[in-house]
Amino acid sequence: MNKRILLISLTIAVLTVLAACAPAPTATPVPAPTSAPAPTSAPAPTSAPQATAAPKPTEAPKPTAVPPTATAVPKPKDIVFWTQFDEKNMDPKSDSAVGNAYLRDTMPQFNKQFTGKWNWANVQKDFSKMNAELVAAVQAKGEVPDLFQISLDINTFVNNGTAQDLTAWAQAQAWYKDLDPSAVSACTATNGKLYCIPLSIRPQVVLVWKDHFPNGYPKTPADFLTQAAALKAKGVPALTYYGSTFGDGNGITRGMTTMMFSFGGKYDDGKGKMLLNTPENIAAIQFMREIVAKGYVTESSFAGNFQEEEAFKTGAVGSFATGMNAYLFLNTLKAPSGTRYAKGNLNDYLDALAAGDTYLAPFPAPAGKTPGCNLAASGIIVPTGSKNLDGAKEFINWIMTPQQNPQFVLGAVGGFPALKTSLSNSSFQTPYFKQAGQVMAASNCRPWFGTLTKPSVAQPIIMTTLYKLIKEDPTADIAAALTKAQEEYNKDIK
Amino acid sequence: MSPNIHSLKKQSWFDKSLPVWLLLPTMLALLVVQVYPTLYTIWLSTQEHDAAGWKFVGLDNFERLITLNQFGESVGLTIVFLVFHVALTMLGGFITAFLLSRKIRFSGLFITLLFIPWVLSHVIVGFMFRLMVAPDYGVFTGYLMDPARFPPNGLSILTAVPPKPWIPGFPFPPAPAMWLLILASTWRALPFVTLLILAAIQMVPAEVVESSRIDGANNWQVIRHIVVPLILPTMVVAIFNVILNGMNGVAIIFTSTGGGPGTATQILSYLLYSIGWSRIQFGRAAALALIIALVNWALILATLRFTKIEEGHDQV
Repeated sequence: MNKRILLISLTIAVLTVLAACAPAPTATPVPAPTSAPAPTSAPAPTSAPQATAAPKPTEAPKPTAVPPTATAVPKPKDIVFWTQFDEKNMDPKSDSAVGNAYLRDTMPQFNKQFTGKWNWANVQKDFSKMNAELVAAVQAKGEVPDLFQISLDINTFVNNGTAQDLTAWAQAQAWYKDLDPSAVSACTATNGKLYCIPLSIRPQVVLVWKDHFPNGYPKTPADFLTQAAALKAKGVPALTYYGSTFGDGNGITRGMTTMMFSFGGKYDDGKGKMLLNTPENIAAIQFMREIVAKGYVTESSFAGNFQEEEAFKTGAVGSFATGMNAYLFLNTLKAPSGTRYAKGNLNDYLDALAAGDTYLAPFPAPAGKTPGCNLAASGIIVPTGSKNLDGAKEFINWIMTPQQNPQFVLGAVGGFPALKTSLSNSSFQTPYFKQAGQVMAASNCRPWFGTLTKPSVAQPIIMTTLYKLIKEDPTADIAAALTKAQEEYNKDIK
Repeated sequence: MSPNIHSLKKQSWFDKSLPVWLLLPTMLALLVVQVYPTLYTIWLSTQEHDAAGWKFVGLDNFERLITLNQFGESVGLTIVFLVFHVALTMLGGFITAFLLSRKIRFSGLFITLLFIPWVLSHVIVGFMFRLMVAPDYGVFTGYLMDPARFPPNGLSILTAVPPKPWIPGFPFPPAPAMWLLILASTWRALPFVTLLILAAIQMVPAEVVESSRIDGANNWQVIRHIVVPLILPTMVVAIFNVILNGMNGVAIIFTSTGGGPGTATQILSYLLYSIGWSRIQFGRAAALALIIALVNWALILATLRFTKIEEGHDQV
């Protein structure tokens, strides 16, 4: 008898577990009140890719027993947006404090403007893992957001089938013609289609302490070596930059590429394959070997985790090759003269620049070459499998207005706005943006990956190879190492 | 037919099926949390995803993985890391446990303090050790960067390049950053191992030890011939734990050295993370996960063989 009771108990327990694991029953559609607005006013164009199978209005259940009240407000539908920012994080010391504050200010504006229709639901993601998380979510057909903030290469997402083709839809929008061509190219994959909507472009620049380079930043590598030697004699390294392999080669998107491109270097053959073994790349590596060996570069350049910033923040180094959005993170600051800029926010660097303690410059280039820089873009993609395509598109149209685009750029990601008319906004008429514009105009800025279709794979291969040649084994055969690296990548390319 | 046989037949269904029912919840749980992920990993290791979707590539992922320039180096680094991590943890754990097993003052306080590393997450431990040696503001940076102590330019743990290998192609001696990683991992693992061994030492019968002393054994002989053989099964369990944690842990590397400088601390678990989460090649990451699982098995079997502790004869 006891065994029977035990058996029955076990059966009940197993069934309970199975019932708990079973998918929840589909929610019964809530009848829309008669006063509710019609389903999404902006239907997707027929040419838009992968339109979701939204129920047709005629399929909606008719209102039944419960009469709508006059004050009933329809529940807005979520637009799920994955960003690196967290509006709930109030910590002023947070690395993303500026972006967090932007969300806190802006999300209520959006939600008020679209009351009862859309709700901006932000999901904060770790910056170093958000790309992989999105790809995993799409490939596993999991919970996919409606929008995703990107600041890296578009090809990785396209190659993994993660981003929707927005070409036809974007070209039909009023703001499309106002986009900066370089911003469009940063969102265009190697197949020629547009997979993200650019919000800002961020060229690489060199931040310079005027006390260390009072007569202007060197124009050529030879000038640089001369001035760096003089600074070294005073115990000051001339340059700091993200020269480590930390973050799986993330340095390739930063100062490393600025230097490589300034010598006319590149990483691809223009046809999708990696090409590293070129005379220009070899010349750049030889230059970098020399400045590292002579102690003109901070040791913290190779420590990773943005350690290289510290020397610049304390005025202990002459210059910092980095992205133009670095001012968002460089606080607090102490100029070599001892002047402190300690508001603890994005204004510290802007104040230092306005006071003339620091300025922006392009990286030195050999005679006959144009200074180079990596051009990064911040933008939005609509991931494959987005459940609220209409909401995503309406959000993009909202943020691509001359009012919102500059706010996003200034408050969240930095750089220049992707809309040309936004550039006339008074916020971009400050000395900082004027200098950055001059640097960009004087440089040949382009995305580092060129035609490489697998930038996320190329990144650690290139950065590890460059690091080893420059720092770890400065006597190694440069051409042989570059050839070996490009062959490793090209094996994977069909 | 005897009553006993009749009774046996009557209850045979229950007798036969009851163990199955008793095991069913556990088996279901195992199916969900172990069998399915394992099968999925095996499937994933034979797939590659492109813009069109998943496609079967057979053993290509394994082949491409093994021919990666970084793979061979990563295997060598893993060997170096594991050998020193396991050796230092076991030795440190045994010595600490042996000292704590003696009747000394404040031993309770020492045991409490010993717990501190154990309650910290791997991420925090990694950050902590990084902050000790970070350039510009590390706690020990001033001391280490003194050229008088470490000529000619001082020692920058996080950026110093590895010395020239004694055997070409094998990363030994390792970079200073690898020693930092070994130290951090050992510090984190020490409490668990110490407590396991301490518990085992306290179970060693006092009369056995006393008898050996009456027979003239000195301290070393007591440890070598009495204590160690009696606690060996516990030590094997500790070794398993240290090997598996060392082999699979990535959080300490991620927050302390980030795999650098260069590739000097990119052991297999970090390479797995890198391939999966940075290069976003899930199929290849699954292939590496399977290789690491096989290596784990091999290490466990080797430990069992080496210590002669196997099912059915766990006494030495």
